[in-house]
Amino acid sequence: MKVSLFVTCLVDQLWTSVGVSSAKVLRRVGCEVEFDKRQTCCAQPAFNTGYLDEARLVAQHFIRIFEESKADAIVSPSGSCTAMVQHYQQLFAGDPEWLPRAQAVAARTHELSSFLIRVLKVEDVGASWEGRLTWHDACHGLRDLNLNSEPRTLIRNVRGAEFVELEHADSCCGFGGTFSIKYPEISVAILDEKIDAIERAGVQAVVSGDASCLMQIGGRLSRKGSKVKVMHLAELLAADLHE
Amino acid sequence: MNHLSSETFDQNAKAALADAHLRGALKNATSLFGERRKAAAASLPNWEDLRSEARAIKDEVLSHLDRYLEEFVGNAEARGAKIHWARDAGEANSIICGLASDRKARTVVKSKSMTTEETHLNIALEAAGMQVVETDLGEYIIQLADEPPSHIIAPAIHKTRGQIAELFNAELGMPLTDDVARLTSTARATLRDRFAAADVGISGVNFAIAETGTIVIVENEGNIRLTTSLPPVHMAVMGIEKVLPRFAHLDVFLKLLPRSGTGQRLTTYQSYITGTKRQPTDEGPEELHIVLLDNGRSRMLAHPVTRQSLACIRCGACLNACPVYQQVGGHAYGSVYPGPIGAVITPQLMGIQKAAQLPFASSLCGACREVCPVKIDIPRLLLHLRGEISPRKGKLSERLAFKLWAQVMMRPSLYKTSSVVGRIMQRFVPVAKAWTRGRDLRPIESKSFHELWSDE
Amino acid sequence: MNNTAREAILGSIRSHLAASVPYDKLEISDGSSRIKTDCNPIPSASISDQFKASLEAVDGHCVVVRGDREIAEALTQIIGVLPKTNIAVSDNPEVERLLQLTDLEIEGLSIAPNARDIFRFDVGISTAQAAIAETGTLVLDSTSERHRLVSLVPPVHIAIIRGSQIYRTLGEVLTVIQSARDLSPAVTFITGPSRTADIELTLAIGVHGPQELYVIIDELN
Repeated sequence: MKVSLFVTCLVDQLWTSVGVSSAKVLRRVGCEVEFDKRQTCCAQPAFNTGYLDEARLVAQHFIRIFEESKADAIVSPSGSCTAMVQHYQQLFAGDPEWLPRAQAVAARTHELSSFLIRVLKVEDVGASWEGRLTWHDACHGLRDLNLNSEPRTLIRNVRGAEFVELEHADSCCGFGGTFSIKYPEISVAILDEKIDAIERAGVQAVVSGDASCLMQIGGRLSRKGSKVKVMHLAELLAADLHE
Repeated sequence: MNHLSSETFDQNAKAALADAHLRGALKNATSLFGERRKAAAASLPNWEDLRSEARAIKDEVLSHLDRYLEEFVGNAEARGAKIHWARDAGEANSIICGLASDRKARTVVKSKSMTTEETHLNIALEAAGMQVVETDLGEYIIQLADEPPSHIIAPAIHKTRGQIAELFNAELGMPLTDDVARLTSTARATLRDRFAAADVGISGVNFAIAETGTIVIVENEGNIRLTTSLPPVHMAVMGIEKVLPRFAHLDVFLKLLPRSGTGQRLTTYQSYITGTKRQPTDEGPEELHIVLLDNGRSRMLAHPVTRQSLACIRCGACLNACPVYQQVGGHAYGSVYPGPIGAVITPQLMGIQKAAQLPFASSLCGACREVCPVKIDIPRLLLHLRGEISPRKGKLSERLAFKLWAQVMMRPSLYKTSSVVGRIMQRFVPVAKAWTRGRDLRPIESKSFHELWSDE
Repeated sequence: MNNTAREAILGSIRSHLAASVPYDKLEISDGSSRIKTDCNPIPSASISDQFKASLEAVDGHCVVVRGDREIAEALTQIIGVLPKTNIAVSDNPEVERLLQLTDLEIEGLSIAPNARDIFRFDVGISTAQAAIAETGTLVLDSTSERHRLVSLVPPVHIAIIRGSQIYRTLGEVLTVIQSARDLSPAVTFITGPSRTADIELTLAIGVHGPQELYVIIDELN
C-alpha cells in the first residue's frame, strides 16, 4: 500500500518528530511512504478565521498536488487538518470544476489512527512504552471524524503502557486556532480545567492526535513546572518498535 | 440597568474570569445541568431519531414560514385571539404599552419571556407609567438585583444562595438565611398579592400550533398559569419562528425540550391556550392578544446556514456544554441570548457591527452541536458569520496578513522560507505575547520536516 | 389595524426565503429523514401502578383505591391532617358528592371560587379528563371542568381520577385532545407539585403552584 504523507504545516515547522514517527509507523505496518515536497498547509487558519477567498487559494494548491499522487491514500497525523480537507466541500460548494476535485481528494485523505484501524485493520503496530498515560480527545478528530475507539485501541496495544481514561477526555483544551491568541485568558482558563484533570489522573504522559492541542497542553504543563510529558499518538506508536 | 455590551466581550470576559464567586457558581450549574441532560437523553433509546425528526419539522416550518404563520393566525383569530404584528422591538413595545394603557393598566405581571427581554419591554412599560413584576423566581431575583439574565432558562444562575439571601434581606427585609426553601417561600408570598392585583399578564410562547391556533407554554413554578389565568388581559409575545405545523408534533418537542433544558421528563405544567373563553362566566382572561415579533428573524431565512438559527427551542443545553460559557458566564456576551446560540443570533438580530466579537469567541469545539436537540450546526454558523465579518471588518493588518499568507502558502518555494511566515504572523497579532503570558512556546525546529526528508 | 406590519413581515419572509433558493441547492443533505418515533417499550406493570410510580418520582403522592368508600377514606386521610380546611372544589359535581361521603369537619366549601376569592383556600379538589402513565401527568380541560384556579392557587391540590382515564403515553393523549370536536380554550397538563431550581440549581418544591399534589386513582370504574 502506497501512502502519501501530509505532515501539516504545524508539524513541519514546530514538531518534526511527529512527521518522522508517522513515516516510521506507516513503514512498520508495510506501507511505502512518499512525501510530496510541494505541500504546505490545509488552509485551516484562513478558513477558521473567516478568510474564505484566501483559504480557497491554499486549498486549491493542496488539491492540485495531492490529486496527482498515485498513492492509495493520503495520511495525516492531524484530526483537525484531515477534517479541514473534508470541509473543502463547503469551500467549493457550487463550483463545478473544484467541487468534484475537492471531494475526490477528501475521499482519499485519512487521519493516521483512522487509517491504521479502519483501512489497514491494524490494531497493534508493535510499540512499547513504559509508564502511565492518558488520552485527550482532540475536538475535530472526535466530532468531525468520529475518532473515539480507534486511538484507544492502538494505545491499549502498546506494550508496557498503563492507560487511564482522562476525566472529561472529550472537553476542549481551549486552543481553537486563532481563538488561543484572540482570547488568551479564556483559552488558558479552559486549558486549566484540562490540566487539573491531567494532574488528577497521575500520569506520566498525555497523548493526543493533534499537535495543536499538544502545543496548548504542553505549553501550560511546562509553564506550571509539571513533569507530565505530552506525546503525539504517532510518537507513542513509533516508540521502541520491535518484532 | 448596567448592561454589558457585546462590543466589549473581551473585557467583559476578563472581568468574569477574575470573579471567583461567579466561576464557582458557573462550574456547579453547568456541570449539574450537563449531567442531568445527559442522563435524560440516555433514558430515551430513540433520542437521535427524535432530534432528526424535530429538525425536519423545523426545516419544514421555516421553509414555508409565511404559510404556517398565516395558518396559525387564521385559526387563533377564529377562536377569539387578537393578533398583532411587530416588525421590530420598538413596535412590539409600543403595541403592548398601547394595549395596556388603553385598558388603564397599572400593574403588569410577567412570566419568563426571552423575547420581551430582547425588546426591553419592561423599560418601555415602566416609562409608560406601569409597574412591572417579574414572577419567575429567577427573573424576580434579577429584577430585584437590576441585572440582565445570564442564562436562557436559569436567569439567576450566576448568583450564589448567599448573594440571593443578601438581596432578599436588602430589598424585602427578609432575615438572612441560606435555606433555599425559605428563600423560595418568601418569593412566593411576596408575589401572590401582585398576581391578585394585576391588570395585565404577559407571557412568552414556547410553541404556536398552526393547525389549531394554540399557544403552548411550559413551566415548573406555576407562575405562567397564574399570569395567564388571573388578570383579565393576557398578552403573549412570540418570535415568528415559534410555529409548529401540527398539534401532534408537540410529542416530539415535549420529549426534547424538558430533557435538554433541565433533565426532566416533563415540566410540571404545560398550558395549551386556544383563543379566549367561550362564556363570560368561564375562568380565564377576557382578552387574549398574541404579538408576533420579527426583529430581524425573517432576514435569517435568506441562507440555509443562517435559517437553522431559527430552529432553536431555547433549551439552554448549548450554554451548559460550551467551554467558553462555562468560564465566563452569560453577562459577558452582553446579550439576552448568551452562549453558543447567542453568539450566532445576537449579531444577526442586533446587527453585526454591534456584536462582531461574538462569532470569534469560540474554540469551535462542537460540544454545542452535539447537545442541540434540533441539531443546529453552530460551529458552521460561527464560521459562516466569521466569513461575513473578517473580509470586510477584520483589522486591516489581519486582512493583509492573510492575503500575504495565502500567497506564501500557495508557493512551495516561498513557504519553505519559514521565517517569512513567522514574521507575517507576528505582524498582525502579537503572537508571542498573547501566547506566552500563560503558556510556554515551542521553539521553531532548526530543520523543518521538508528539510529532514530531503536529507534522507 | 396592523396590516402594514403584517404585510411587511410576510413580505420579508417571502423575499428572504426566495433569496435562499440558490444556496439551498448547494446544501448537501446529511441523509437523516423523518422517522416515526414511538418506540416506548410496553411496561409490564398495570397502568395505574405505572402512573403512581411516575408521579411519585416527581414528588407527587398517589393512592390507588377501589370505589367511593375508599375514595372518601383517602380524602379523609389527606385533608384530616391539614391545619385548616377551607376547601375549593371544581364544578364537577362528583367532587362535592365524594366529599360529602367523608365525615370531615370542613370549615368552608366553595365551588370554583373566582380570582378574587381563591387565595383564601387551603385545599383545591378537582377531577381530571385524562392522565398519562409514562410521566404521571393529569390532563384537565376548561370546557369540561373549571379547574384553572382550583388546581393552581391553594397550596394543596387533590385530583380524583378513574383508572380507565389513564393513557400510556403523551402522544396518545395529544391525539385525543386534538381530535375533540373543538379544542378547549385552556388545557392544562399537571405533573407533580410546583417546583423550581432557580437558586443554585437546588430543588425547592412549592413555588407559585401547589406545594402538594395528591392523586386518587379509582380502579373500580
